[in-house]
Amino acid sequence: MIKDIVWIYYYASLILITFMSIYGIAVRPNLLKKIIMLSILSDTANMLAVLLGYHTLSPKPPVYPGGTFSTTQFPSQRQLSTFAQYAVDPIPQVLVVTAIVIGLAVLVFLSFVAVLIYRRYGTLDMRVVSKKARQEVK
Amino acid sequence: MEKRLICLGACITVTAFILAFALIYTGIVPLAPTGNRPLATMFLESTFNAEKWWIWAGSPEVVTSILWDYRGIDTVYETTVFFLAIIGAITVVRTMKLLPETSGKGKGLTVIAKTITKITFAAIPIIAFSIAVHGHLTPGGGFQAGSAFAVAPLLVIAALSLRLLVERGWEKERLLALRTTGLILIGIIAIIVPVLAILRHSIAYIMQNQAKLWAPAGLSAIVNVFGIKSLLSGTLFWLNLSEFLAVSAGLSLVFVLLAAPTKNFDKEVKVQ
Repeated sequence: MIKDIVWIYYYASLILITFMSIYGIAVRPNLLKKIIMLSILSDTANMLAVLLGYHTLSPKPPVYPGGTFSTTQFPSQRQLSTFAQYAVDPIPQVLVVTAIVIGLAVLVFLSFVAVLIYRRYGTLDMRVVSKKARQEVK
Repeated sequence: MEKRLICLGACITVTAFILAFALIYTGIVPLAPTGNRPLATMFLESTFNAEKWWIWAGSPEVVTSILWDYRGIDTVYETTVFFLAIIGAITVVRTMKLLPETSGKGKGLTVIAKTITKITFAAIPIIAFSIAVHGHLTPGGGFQAGSAFAVAPLLVIAALSLRLLVERGWEKERLLALRTTGLILIGIIAIIVPVLAILRHSIAYIMQNQAKLWAPAGLSAIVNVFGIKSLLSGTLFWLNLSEFLAVSAGLSLVFVLLAAPTKNFDKEVKVQ
């Protein structure tokens, strides 16, 4: 029962952070705060993916232990079966590494766009920026 | 206003708990699982299994094997996306000239902070290179090593100055050239196995690492380096090194450009 409550707490906190970051993206007027909240949202999604690959049977990293440059003996099928029983799921971790790089690419581009917007309009408040942009069109 | 925010907070907290409860008890997300899924077991058992040589990757690191071998083309495109983001960032500041005279006063922090930064500036690249070289043996890899390396120029910008970094030759064009070199190296390693296979009148796939039953070509996992048998896991070692070069140069470039004073920007983009 306590284990159930702990796991509900894990998922609930992640969902709560997702809601809060969506609130920040939608409601906060400052572009910098929107970008920060977007990166928090992507990190929460990554955290959820890693949590889905976790298991409670004495989890180990998905790396076969003892590998060095001088390893020339490969493990047997039985050793690998034991390793596969205890290591956590590697696939969510791979997807998360990819997602982090894509998130970083988005973050880099958005931060340069924010620099440009500040340079042009003198503010990052999106209400003021949209008002000024509308005046320019007229 | 306060009351409205408190109401909103309470609402989303309750919704989050109800959603978590519903997700667990409808079986969509697992509740404390005690074993792996069949797909994960398949990857974990076959990655370092020399008996199943037709689906192995020759590396004890399962994450790196999936990243650069089983899902290799995916990672190449991911690196390309990051490269395109940097190209887009450079396009935004394309007319900016970053010279030592125009990159700040170069004062920096106190002597204590400067000395500590000098010591860590020597240590960080060594650790990053170690992470990249051991990417196919221990947790880590090219991208993680590159991110670790990029902390060094960031520290120098914060504690010493951007001017020093530009004076020492960390220029826009040079960093972009290094970034492009890394991407070109990844491209060359991606096609090196098919090219070798064609020369031997055999077939192989792009981004293939080890030999397959239906495509019997590949770099061998254990290579003789100066008379010592070393486990390099075929292409994984070289791909990690190229990715290290690409990501460290790319992130350093981003930090240098973001730290540049805004008066260097395009004159057309004026403050209104």
